[in-house]
Amino acid sequence: MKQLAARTLYTAVVLILSSVAVFYAIRLSGGDVTAARLPASASAEQREAFKEQLGLNDPIYQQYFNYIGRVLSGDLGTSLTNNAQISDLLLTHGRNSLILGAAAFILVFAIGIPLGMLASLRRNSWWDGGIMTFSVAGMAVPNFWLALLAVWLFASVLGWFPSAGCCSPRQLALPAVVLAMEGIALTVRMTRSAMLENLNLDFVRTLRAGGLAETSVIGRHVFRNALVPIVSLAGLRIGQIVGYALVVETIFGWPGLGQVLVNAVLRRDYPVAQFFSLVLVTIVLLGNWLADVGYTVVNPRLRKA
Amino acid sequence: MAAPAPGAAPAPAPAREGAPLLSIRGLRTAVSSGGESSDIVRDLSLDLFPNEILCLVGESGCGKSITALSVMRLLPTPPVRVVSGEIIYEGRDLLSLRPGEMRAVRADHISMIFQDPLTSLDPVFTVGGVMTEVIGAHRSLDRAAAEEMAVTALTEVGLPDPAARMRSYPHELSGGMRQRVMIALALVLDPDILIADEPTTALDVTVQAQILDKLTSEQRRRGMSMLLITHDLAVVAAVADRVAVMYAGEIVEQAPVEELFADPRHPYTQGLLRALPHVSAVRRRLHPIAGVVPPPQLMPEGCRFAPRCPHALDRCWTEPPELEAAGGGRALRCFNPQPFVR
Repeated sequence: MKQLAARTLYTAVVLILSSVAVFYAIRLSGGDVTAARLPASASAEQREAFKEQLGLNDPIYQQYFNYIGRVLSGDLGTSLTNNAQISDLLLTHGRNSLILGAAAFILVFAIGIPLGMLASLRRNSWWDGGIMTFSVAGMAVPNFWLALLAVWLFASVLGWFPSAGCCSPRQLALPAVVLAMEGIALTVRMTRSAMLENLNLDFVRTLRAGGLAETSVIGRHVFRNALVPIVSLAGLRIGQIVGYALVVETIFGWPGLGQVLVNAVLRRDYPVAQFFSLVLVTIVLLGNWLADVGYTVVNPRLRKA
Repeated sequence: MAAPAPGAAPAPAPAREGAPLLSIRGLRTAVSSGGESSDIVRDLSLDLFPNEILCLVGESGCGKSITALSVMRLLPTPPVRVVSGEIIYEGRDLLSLRPGEMRAVRADHISMIFQDPLTSLDPVFTVGGVMTEVIGAHRSLDRAAAEEMAVTALTEVGLPDPAARMRSYPHELSGGMRQRVMIALALVLDPDILIADEPTTALDVTVQAQILDKLTSEQRRRGMSMLLITHDLAVVAAVADRVAVMYAGEIVEQAPVEELFADPRHPYTQGLLRALPHVSAVRRRLHPIAGVVPPPQLMPEGCRFAPRCPHALDRCWTEPPELEAAGGGRALRCFNPQPFVR
């Protein structure tokens, strides 16, 4: 419990520090914010007035506190490019991202764990060799390249799936698999090594001596033990998915948070960019925090520590 | 079959020299590595009689544990496997049972406890969870009945507050408590035979005595048979009815416990007893057995103890001695037994 409180406090501190970093980074990234809104013919006075109106001439720390105050009171502001409410963007695009992210997250474990178990139970067989080769490939191939390859093969050549769009299951398939690939590869390796490690421990012999069937010894006991490292790193997979979502959403034209953020940065739409950066940072930190909680849940040795 | 005559006394329980409960015949267990196979246990025959404690003694690596795991069919296969032999229990050869039949024998008829209670319990399951699962694998009982059975077993092994301990994880228990849980798990189905492989070696000295007491009192109370594997002659002297001494995968001598200590006949047994420190002679030197156990590829053709034996004859180097009955329930594998000089 004490550990959990410490982790929560730590997460909060990191969140505050990263909000400062995000805020400064976007202010210091250069470019003319007024270009997002004012026509090219606008005069220097008009531009200056616009900046004054947005409070951009205040000292940065003051802008930061004003901004955080507004966000905490529920006023997320509007986009500079099209006056859209940021809260609306969050809802519509957040929902799309959630669909894609959740699909990828489920695939990571639904594919990674069974493949890893199969590899461990058929150790040194063709199955094992094939699965581990796939795993190495999955970790080595960069996701943007995999995304392009998937579009070329499955959309252009074979025509099985559409190359872009949202949000039917067929449109979801390619981006979700690409987004999940590295997580699947890591989960396969982790499952396999955790299973093999636990298969040779003394307690397995005790359970067999108790007359338990292999399905229970391996499927229940060894698996539950192997699950400890897998679950404890599940939160980190969330962070990974969020990071890769920027690339994958852009390539597949998936209207999610990543796509909004990338576009906002390109157009110097700083209210959108800074808010969505904060959202992604929060999700990643939440994932890491979940990893700590999850570790405690699956590992009884840590519960009463 | 004819009905028994009225008033006839029921048949008396078989005496120790009667039918054995478990009979190992010509067991040979080998480990293979790199295409080569070497014997860990060779030509081992051993009878376990009802209601007795048989101690299997020998130094580390002599094949004691492998013998026990062969009986339970829990060898790490590959690379270790039984090559030949029979293990007869209730008229059946355990080695030829199908896996499901063997599972039914484990825990219910023949149980085993292991050396290290720290690593021998599943760390992510509660004591009660594992115990009720083992009960459920052998008996069709509802949850409440299985839990009651488990609590009874935990109470019998002297675990304090057994109902609360059902919800404990192994890491919450001390070494002695864990070993009590192991014993309860092994005895919960009231087996005929308990195989205990160095059950006290990993424990504190004070706890060792408690666990040993508990094992022997449960053995007597239940009238079960126990095969106790140990390298500790003090344990043997304290609890054994009979002793079998193993050296390099073979039984070299077998005798009732008093006779073995009073009159050891095999030079290896004699060496073991001579190597014990003696209370009455504090300043006396200890006498280790000279030499080491030869590695498998250098094992002599004849008697395996010949290279370390003070009385070896020419014949001992070329011809392997058989384990032969020596009267009075004793057996000996030696061509040239000499009287014991302490």
